[in-house]
Amino acid sequence: MQVYLPIAEMSVDALLLLGIGFGVGWLSGLFGVGGGFLLTPLLILIGIPSPVAVASGANQTLGASVSGLIAQWRRDNVDARMGAVLLAGGFTGSVLGVQLFALLRRAGQVDLAVAFFYVVVLGTVGILMVRESVRAILRRRRTGVATPKAHEHTWLHGLPFKLRFRKSRLYISIVPPLLVGFGIGILSAVMGVGGGFMLVPAMIYLLGMPTSVVIGTSLFQVVFVSANVTLLQALQVGSVDIVLTLLLLAGGVAGAQFGAAMGTKLRGEETRALLGLLVLAVALGLAWDLVRAPVSLFAIGPAQ
Amino acid sequence: MLALLLGWALPAAAQAPAPAPASTPALTADISTDRVEITTGFTGASVLVFGATENLIGPESGEDVVVLAWGPPLPTVVRRKVNVLGFWVNGPSATFPEVPGFYAIAATRPVWEVLPEETRRTTRLGLDALPLRAVGGQAPAFRAALLELKQQDGRWQEYAAPVNVAGGRLFSARVSFPDTVQTGDYRIEVLLVRDRRIVARQALFLRVERVGTAASIAHVARTLPLVYGISCILLAALAGWFGSVIFRRS
Repeated sequence: MQVYLPIAEMSVDALLLLGIGFGVGWLSGLFGVGGGFLLTPLLILIGIPSPVAVASGANQTLGASVSGLIAQWRRDNVDARMGAVLLAGGFTGSVLGVQLFALLRRAGQVDLAVAFFYVVVLGTVGILMVRESVRAILRRRRTGVATPKAHEHTWLHGLPFKLRFRKSRLYISIVPPLLVGFGIGILSAVMGVGGGFMLVPAMIYLLGMPTSVVIGTSLFQVVFVSANVTLLQALQVGSVDIVLTLLLLAGGVAGAQFGAAMGTKLRGEETRALLGLLVLAVALGLAWDLVRAPVSLFAIGPAQ
Repeated sequence: MLALLLGWALPAAAQAPAPAPASTPALTADISTDRVEITTGFTGASVLVFGATENLIGPESGEDVVVLAWGPPLPTVVRRKVNVLGFWVNGPSATFPEVPGFYAIAATRPVWEVLPEETRRTTRLGLDALPLRAVGGQAPAFRAALLELKQQDGRWQEYAAPVNVAGGRLFSARVSFPDTVQTGDYRIEVLLVRDRRIVARQALFLRVERVGTAASIAHVARTLPLVYGISCILLAALAGWFGSVIFRRS
């Protein structure tokens, strides 16, 4: 069944979009991330123009994260104060990121920039995750205990402007969470992702937050940052396609519930190893696209 | 666009002979619809251009019919990919400010066989007769790439569909628009060629527009981006919440 996307100005198979939404939703439910990092490259692969894929990907991430946030909020797993600090950084970052995106679009390099950001960020995150989870699996095999030691005190804890985060049981400077939020805000604007797959490790390893509040707080941040990116992309680039978003969401929310049900059967470090491998695979696929000889040396597009 | 149209309409008009008597027009043509509607289920469309001539069409009588379709101008940029440190990036580009977004030509016989080259050029009959002037990169490769890529995605067509003749006098041709067709006013020209001259012509007009939901979405997104952005946020949030209620499995 073909459906016409009014902003992308092309028609695509609605079942294909529902299927992509379901698959990505299933994986995101399984791994507890938004899945934007898979969705945007897939959309570009099926021929959606990069600006529309990025903006609608952010819009879809927003919808997918809302349901998760509601569930986590009910279980009291959201550190709203930490979320607010992350958000302050995230908003600034996404405002800057959308400007960067518009600039790249004018320079005609947006496809390259999006692909390049993906390769670098996904490659780094994927390698870190695989390394960490393989270590955890090996440690469990050796000692029978998978949990690493509690967070250490580093130079990050010596910074000024300290604030008490009661739910996270932390008393740290607000500078590291602000910087983390800022960086992820930029990336989410350029890559069309919520940033959950970067935020979760950052909160555990950089900020030393307890795992119980990490997912809920990450969703809190992702919902607001992706809402901000959606709005800014709609205002400055005009590339949010609501028909595309809603089709992806229809498949995605269903897939996420099935994925989440299955996720409870897997061990934490095995889940992380699988997610790490998946992230790495996407990064390698995109890197291959950048280095192999293109089918056509020329590309056409509307002049700005 | 107007200048473009006038530019090729004038010389042709000058050489057209005195009009045939009103009772027996040399050429009559019409289209199956004067509106192509882009709905949410749009996958491309085709319109039928049909008509009749006074004399027999064909090589024996020396009469030929040419059908030409023009879309609104669409400034187009062609970029060449270059290899920088092993990565393929967009390199030099050429901008073509005045090329038609859609162009299709069909004829009973290829135009170069039935019209002198000069007439063919001034009347823009054929992709190679289009005035493709570039700003920026001037290499002929950009022109060649533009012609190739535009034909690949179906927005420029040269003898892609035939002009069918029935009973010697009735002709019909299909003009197909891909799903990426732009909105705007299209002009369809039907030309009658005899003895290496254009002896009659008729212009038909066609409007391509979005209708229904697709039209309202695109309109709101363009004119009220703030309202559109906020609606997108609310709709996505609502869909996420709604979905989690329906598909809850715990």
